[in-house]
Amino acid sequence: MRDGGIAYARAMWKLLAPFIVLLAAVGLSVLSDKPQPPADIVFINDGDVNTLDVTRMSWLQDFRVAGAVWEGLVINNVFSRDFDKMPGVAERWERSADQRTYTFHLRPNAKWSDGSQVTAEDFRFAWRRALLPDSVGDYVSMFQMIEGGQAFYDWRQARLDEFAKVHAPADRAAAARELWAQTQKKFDELVRCEAPDPLTLVVRLERSVPYFIDCVAFEAFFPLHRGLLARYTSISPETGRVETDSGWTRPPALIGNGKFKLTTWRFKRDMRLERNEHHWDQLAINVDSIKMPSIGDPNAQILSYRTGGADWLSSVVPNYRADLIAAKKQYINEHQELYDQLKEQGFDQVAIDRRMPPDPRQNIHVFPAFGTYFYSFNCRPNLPDGRPNPFHDAKVRKAFSISVEKSIIAENVRRIGEAVADVLVPPNSIAGYPPVYGAAYDPAEARRLLAEAGYPNGEGFITVSILYNKDSGHDLIAQAIAKSWQTNLGVKVTLDQKEIKVFRQDLKSSNYMIARGGWFGDYGDPTTFLDLSKTNDGNNDRKYSNPVFDSLLDRAANELDPIKRMGVLAEAERMLVQDEFPMLPIFHYGLVHMFNPHKVSGVSPHPRQKQHIQLLDMLGDGKGRDAPLEIPPPPPTRKW
Amino acid sequence: MLTLILRRLVQLPLILLAIYSVTLWLAWAIPGSPLENPEGRRPPVEVQRAMERQYNLDSFPRFYWSYLENATGVRWLREEWSGVAAARDAQAIDAGLAPKPRLFFDLGPSLQYEDWRVNEIIAASLPVSVTLGAGAIVIALALGLGAGVVGAIRPNSLADIGTLVVALVGISLPNFVIGAGLLLVFGVWWGVFPVASWGPRGAVLPMITLSLPFAAYIARLTRMGMIDVLGSDYIRTARAKGVAESRVLLKHALKNAFLPVLSYLGPALALAMTGSFVVERVFTVPGMGQHFVNAVLNKDLFLILGVVLVFATMLVVFNLAVDVLYRWVDPRIE
Repeated sequence: MRDGGIAYARAMWKLLAPFIVLLAAVGLSVLSDKPQPPADIVFINDGDVNTLDVTRMSWLQDFRVAGAVWEGLVINNVFSRDFDKMPGVAERWERSADQRTYTFHLRPNAKWSDGSQVTAEDFRFAWRRALLPDSVGDYVSMFQMIEGGQAFYDWRQARLDEFAKVHAPADRAAAARELWAQTQKKFDELVRCEAPDPLTLVVRLERSVPYFIDCVAFEAFFPLHRGLLARYTSISPETGRVETDSGWTRPPALIGNGKFKLTTWRFKRDMRLERNEHHWDQLAINVDSIKMPSIGDPNAQILSYRTGGADWLSSVVPNYRADLIAAKKQYINEHQELYDQLKEQGFDQVAIDRRMPPDPRQNIHVFPAFGTYFYSFNCRPNLPDGRPNPFHDAKVRKAFSISVEKSIIAENVRRIGEAVADVLVPPNSIAGYPPVYGAAYDPAEARRLLAEAGYPNGEGFITVSILYNKDSGHDLIAQAIAKSWQTNLGVKVTLDQKEIKVFRQDLKSSNYMIARGGWFGDYGDPTTFLDLSKTNDGNNDRKYSNPVFDSLLDRAANELDPIKRMGVLAEAERMLVQDEFPMLPIFHYGLVHMFNPHKVSGVSPHPRQKQHIQLLDMLGDGKGRDAPLEIPPPPPTRKW
Repeated sequence: MLTLILRRLVQLPLILLAIYSVTLWLAWAIPGSPLENPEGRRPPVEVQRAMERQYNLDSFPRFYWSYLENATGVRWLREEWSGVAAARDAQAIDAGLAPKPRLFFDLGPSLQYEDWRVNEIIAASLPVSVTLGAGAIVIALALGLGAGVVGAIRPNSLADIGTLVVALVGISLPNFVIGAGLLLVFGVWWGVFPVASWGPRGAVLPMITLSLPFAAYIARLTRMGMIDVLGSDYIRTARAKGVAESRVLLKHALKNAFLPVLSYLGPALALAMTGSFVVERVFTVPGMGQHFVNAVLNKDLFLILGVVLVFATMLVVFNLAVDVLYRWVDPRIE
């Protein structure tokens, strides 16, 4: 009996032991993962941050976080009509008469998050790093506007290219250090970016660039903490390159000079920002902490918002967003009179929402963005298979462009109230840029042009193929466009759907006839869109080349008078959207946000769609300004 | 037993080498550049070329050997013994720079998430996946064994048919449907568990969702085993001796009926820990399954290789663990 009892116990123990161990391990692991304290505001970024190295970043979500962690010399005022420049680290700046020399006066109370002073030398250091080919920054061309920048870049590139050939493996380590010392000297010698004293930065440009101040507000121009970077920088003895170890962009190492400091970054999990108590402008900080959970699934984002897990979704993508937007339209219809009045007074979209009776249907917002969706025509004389390319002829491109009924795409396919595009630069996004009008929908004229080009009623025209990638509803748009062309022009159209990586490769190698495309501007100047059509531009996927257009851009570049310059640029754009059509603009992107306008402030509805998360405010929480940030309405126009 | 463990451990590196070679070969063939964004601006050509050179992406053999050297620790040992590492550190300190940190098993940088090394990504996400998978298996065992025993005691009873139906649903309904349903009911309607947040409370729903198919399978295995065993002579003898029914079931029957479940547990545990991509996505669990899929979409070579190698190692080790356990529970097995 007793023996049986022991055997029984032993058998049970043998069966249970592994699971008790497993259970204990699971319990320990779960319980050790303590949740963080709640934050003042929670927002879900437009995807996970790829890098916080300001020299290297190129994604929207990265820029947003960087804008909170660092501060540039000047800051864009995202709540002003004309996207004004406000003082940042520089309390004031001057421009020389020839518009080529800028002098920035830094404020003495600008501090890094470790309490040390932000100096002009920190900016020089960051800009030198950006100009090194070693750093492989996407926006290096912006720094090459500085006099000597291009020469310095080329000099360093040439030294690196020959490094392995010139030096034997044994002396490479010494040679690499020697080269780095030379490089630092060369920068001082060549590049006209000087710091005569710790609080003055003088920059001389290669030529006048009217949007230079806009670039200085751009994230790539932020300063870097020299001591921090030195701790993470090494010189590769094999290649001579200066390399930065990735750890410096993460807490607790990271040192910034922005309104917030990054205190937590758990990969694909969350980021947390907390007030930087060393920042000079404490009054402009409206919350003590911001949390950014990483939620990849678009549905889960909305569920999280609905259950109080997030206060602001910065990119709402599920299909049913169109229904939410329709519900908001319905709500506006119910209060049409009040809405029209507020609109008349010139309030911005969110300001209007705040002045209307609260309703959960208000929480969805579509803001016009600084981007355009278009179709690209391959403009080379021959197609990839060697046949002559009918789209080499501008008349054919125009015929195809004006035979697409874009309103159908905006209203029935996209369904989020985006504006139909006849031009490339989104209207009203750039102060001082005169309105440009593109050719409108005109199927009769399109048929006439096609006949003139030698294809009456589409006869003898090759089968047209549309290249697109399969995500984000591009297929539906392609179907709608194909239908337009079939009915209006009588041509045959096939759809060519590819996976995104293959799609990108085909675009780059011009292996397509017509392809979908999209572009978001980087800085507040029309050239950010127009450069796409410049001969040999790295992003000119259409391989469009027109000396007249190029000369217009050159003329604008050499024009000192800002009004005249904008006129020349408008002429260049007009050329593209009235006659030449290397691309067919379809709609201007809208970005869909979700937040309660009566609770959250700081999300900018400005058409440049730059979000400064450092301005976020929970209204009525007793912290910060607690009054909504809004774009001031224009002064009332007098009616006679 | 020792020879078994030794033999398996010797096989492990060979298996990993084969998996590494095949994976790299396949991943290399994915079209497109891992250094390019899916949308918008592309980096200048010279920038792209410089990056390719930096990561050895311009030459397959060079990539193959350098990765192998870094990931196996050979490079670390070579540099340590030859004094290269010490000399380089000294020089760096001389020049006012930091000595470059060195990892023994260096799985390289992530090409998509440049601020993270693959080692760090795996260190952050592997414990989460392991916890999620192990938790799911514990739940599956509790549910499955209970349902299986109940079903076996009274075959074709209401309870048996009930568990059969639940098991069928558990096996045939995909995870994302069950997950979305649970999320809606417990997360959104009742608000018992948080939506999209990993932690002690946030772990419950994903674990249950992930456990259901396993629970269903275990229930069927247990039921079949129990019915089989309960009809055998030694059970009749035990009952004839007057042994209490509960002891007959738990001591005599379950021990033998459990063996097929045990042999299923090895692959099940590995599958639960590695194949939780869907559950991770629905519940926003910061685990490793997502990297498995996203890394391929981004052509993030280093991350693909790192994740595949870690998963492969886990699979081999779990199978070995089950073999060892099997022998421990039933010493007759050689």
